[in-house]
Amino acid sequence: MKIRALFIFLFFVTFPVWAAAETECGTLEKCDSFKSNVHDRNSLQRGLGLYKNYCSSCHTLRYLRWNRLERDLDIPENILVEDLINNPQVKTSDFITFGLPEVSAIGAPDLTLRTRVRGEEWIYTYLRTFYEDSEQITGSNNLVYPGTAMLNVLGGLQGRQVLDQNGNLEKVGDGTMSTEEYDAAIGDLVTFLAYASEPARISREKNGIFVILFFIAFTAVMWLLNREYTKDIK
Amino acid sequence: MEKAKKNSFMSWLDKRLPVTENLERHLTKHPVPKKVNFFYIFGALLMVIFMVQVITGIWLMMFYTNTEEGAFASIEYIMRDVEYGWLMRYMHSTGASAFFFLMYFHMFRGLLYGSYQKPKELVWLFGCFLLFLLMAEGFLGYVLPWGQMSYWAANVILSLFGAIPFIGEDLQVWIQGDYVLSGATLSRFFALHVVVVPLLMIALVVFHIFALHEVGAGNPEGVDIEKHRDKNGMPLDGAPFHPYKTLSALPAIGIFFVIFFAIVFFAPEGGGYFLEKPNFEEADFLKTPEHIAPVWYYAPFYSILRAITFGIPFLGITSKFLGFIIFAGSIAILFIVPWLDRSNVQSIRYKGIYSKVAMILFAASFLTLGYLGTKPVNELRTLIAQICTLFYFLPLILMPIYTKYEKTLEVPDRL
Repeated sequence: MKIRALFIFLFFVTFPVWAAAETECGTLEKCDSFKSNVHDRNSLQRGLGLYKNYCSSCHTLRYLRWNRLERDLDIPENILVEDLINNPQVKTSDFITFGLPEVSAIGAPDLTLRTRVRGEEWIYTYLRTFYEDSEQITGSNNLVYPGTAMLNVLGGLQGRQVLDQNGNLEKVGDGTMSTEEYDAAIGDLVTFLAYASEPARISREKNGIFVILFFIAFTAVMWLLNREYTKDIK
Repeated sequence: MEKAKKNSFMSWLDKRLPVTENLERHLTKHPVPKKVNFFYIFGALLMVIFMVQVITGIWLMMFYTNTEEGAFASIEYIMRDVEYGWLMRYMHSTGASAFFFLMYFHMFRGLLYGSYQKPKELVWLFGCFLLFLLMAEGFLGYVLPWGQMSYWAANVILSLFGAIPFIGEDLQVWIQGDYVLSGATLSRFFALHVVVVPLLMIALVVFHIFALHEVGAGNPEGVDIEKHRDKNGMPLDGAPFHPYKTLSALPAIGIFFVIFFAIVFFAPEGGGYFLEKPNFEEADFLKTPEHIAPVWYYAPFYSILRAITFGIPFLGITSKFLGFIIFAGSIAILFIVPWLDRSNVQSIRYKGIYSKVAMILFAASFLTLGYLGTKPVNELRTLIAQICTLFYFLPLILMPIYTKYEKTLEVPDRL
């Protein structure tokens, strides 16, 4: 028996087990698909705006420095200092904490690495599946994370949602954004959070191709060199 | 003039240090088989990845804080504020996975082509020790980022020592340096990870290679190349290690780095298998993750550990301790493979049908156990894991019988 046959056999024996991978999304079977593009600077800036307006009163970004935003998101220093930081005590090299403790009094977690813990798609789906639920203290509930303590702070943008008899979301009142606009806005927010979780991703994805091209060229040259030498011992 | 100068320097040096002698012995006159297949590249790649790990490790060590309070934040410091710190860290974390990947292929090559048979027993034995050390190194290193999975996976493994009868609990406290897994454990694991284990590994790599050069490298045919030599004493089917082998390794190293850096730059989390999601959350001893999974490279052995759901009550052996014994046995049995194989041929190509079936069962069980180890348990999965555990051990335990009695093919004289 040839080795090749052995490998083909192994593949078929084990493939069904490998292929049966699960993708759960909280209590949903599957998250909505979303892929962030951290190279879209406008999207990052819009996401930062949403974070600042809707998230930052409870959630910190304690591993991200203000001046990193200046560099990566192209934010002019005067806007950074006057509009975003807006606090003479805070230096631009400080972390984005707003003086809040890591887990604030109401239990809101730090968001810096949240997209890496939960995954982008989880957050993208989570922020779009709030619905009204009078049994909850907060007045709202969530499909991805039932019983979530988070208030539906983005409800004004999205509009009112309730669960119908089959447990599906139904929109019953308009928000300030249409559904498409809201989905795009959440996309921007998740993109910003994905960036915050790993600012190096911008340069990583930009420069990686050159490293790989170098090693492809290296392989080609070494292959030719080796071929020349191997002629001696044929 | 220049040349004469150099030669006089070399002769000066050679009288004081056997440089030329050893270069010839291990590189320029060391014969290796001309024809081998792709399975024979993993040894060289392992050397490369070992160097990658050492160099990136030194860089990380310069910025890492080995305390309970500072460890997690120092990783983020490396990822964000240290120039190219993210690259060093991703190379190190991807390198760990690559190390195991190459190691498993390297060992599978050994099993396929009988690279452990007389007189290569010591080469194999040193290699098995290296696997054991690599597993220890990986485990110790995985604790250092002090994420949720670092903490809880380490708890699972350390509690195994606690399951040993009589001495277990004291032993666990001794290893941890505390009654619970804490900063004391972290700082000693750091010392072991960066000094003790790597030093032992370097020593064993040297032994591994010296022993190999003493007995000569094998080939997929299992032919002894030493039988036929030319006038100069060089085997007819052999070629000097340098430049022929070193050069033939370079394109392979290039291809390896293309794949390696594709992961480092575009998928460093490896789909959650190389860097697990819960590990981006700082260790919290009040909050157990829903599902504790080891990194993929321990998954086969972890699966074996979990598959043992029964103990031996009348001997006072709990299921946890029995699991630990069988888990340790699954690695220990690899050490004695040279004495289990009684075949008169080396290579799987000339062995009989039983050896071939056994090898397929062994490999398929290993892969399936690996898959199961990353998933939460349920009844069906436990049953499959138990069957696979059986088929992991049977091909090795029965080896003395089937290799002795099966019909083998005749090995050719030349490569």
